[in-house]
Amino acid sequence: MTATVHILLVDDDPAENVILSALMRKVTSYAITLHYVETVEAALDFIRAAGVRLDMILMDNRLQPQADFRETVPELRRNGYIGPVGVISSSISDAYFQKIDDYGVDFRIDKAELDPTAIEFILREYVKHDISAGE
Amino acid sequence: MPVLNKHYRRYDFESDLEKALNRVDFFRIFHTLALRYGFEHFGILQLANEHETSHLAGRLVLHDLPAGLAEAYDKRHRLNDSAIFKSFYKSTIPTVWLGDDPAENGAAGSSDFLEQIGFDMALAIPVHSIAGTRYVVLFLGDGEDIGRNAHYEICYEANCAFDYFYRKVLANKAGMGLTPRETEILRWISYGKTASEIALIVSVSEHTVNSHTATILKKLDVVNRTQMVAKAIREQIIQ
Repeated sequence: MTATVHILLVDDDPAENVILSALMRKVTSYAITLHYVETVEAALDFIRAAGVRLDMILMDNRLQPQADFRETVPELRRNGYIGPVGVISSSISDAYFQKIDDYGVDFRIDKAELDPTAIEFILREYVKHDISAGE
Repeated sequence: MPVLNKHYRRYDFESDLEKALNRVDFFRIFHTLALRYGFEHFGILQLANEHETSHLAGRLVLHDLPAGLAEAYDKRHRLNDSAIFKSFYKSTIPTVWLGDDPAENGAAGSSDFLEQIGFDMALAIPVHSIAGTRYVVLFLGDGEDIGRNAHYEICYEANCAFDYFYRKVLANKAGMGLTPRETEILRWISYGKTASEIALIVSVSEHTVNSHTATILKKLDVVNRTQMVAKAIREQIIQ
């Protein structure tokens, strides 16, 4: 049996949705449904609509009109989202990324590091559904 | 965490190690290390006494193996019987295991770890923490062999990465001070708030609250939230 997980990608570049969707299809141990919106506002609407129970939000670091995760993620938290949030960026070595915990971010990952193994690891760490081992 | 001075040579690896904050960061470091040297996966095993039953899944403190692989291995095989496991107790020299060398891998005693786990090559690097506890950083892949210089480098880097991983993630233990965020969460627990309520109040995920709570349990050396709060009041960490 494969656990089903719902992930919301927030990224203003639709190409990233295409790339990430292809990556997610390569993950065999979870059946991942990737939902996609372009802005934090749309993400909040998606959460409020509550059609599905989100297991995780993956966010591009820089999203208009906000500056970066220091503004976007607190916005999600202020609106009551308490699930895991990961920030995707190609500059995670910048000094302000050392403060992710202060801004309600669970983890950070470089775009170049996102591969099926990384996605499986992250789901195992943050998503509670137990997959049936080795079945 | 004390800052290591320049005597601790970490070369160009230092910046990544100094910045690592949580398990995902150490996954990133070890996973990248594995890929850079031609492996596919890594696992960090905690070693116990040689004669104590060791299940692979239970001994892995951090790994990127495909989901269910370690559990499937444990259902069919005994890690204790494998030649690779036994090697950890003969010497602390790193070992390389190649799939085209089954006799050397223990195939005669049906204990060929590589064949059982489904990889062609393994590199096992015994390491230890500053507390003296033993671990092994294991790299698995389908390469043919590893050259001398690459071998030296991955061993050194695995030692450095493990040292940081231990001090940053594994070392939380009784008597260590609480961080301001941990104290804040402890205070909310003492007010009777649930993890999801605290997540809302503090503006973090429920996962983060639970992980801080687990750390507080370890640091205060207590077994549940009731004992945690009682001890915190007794020791005047909170009023």
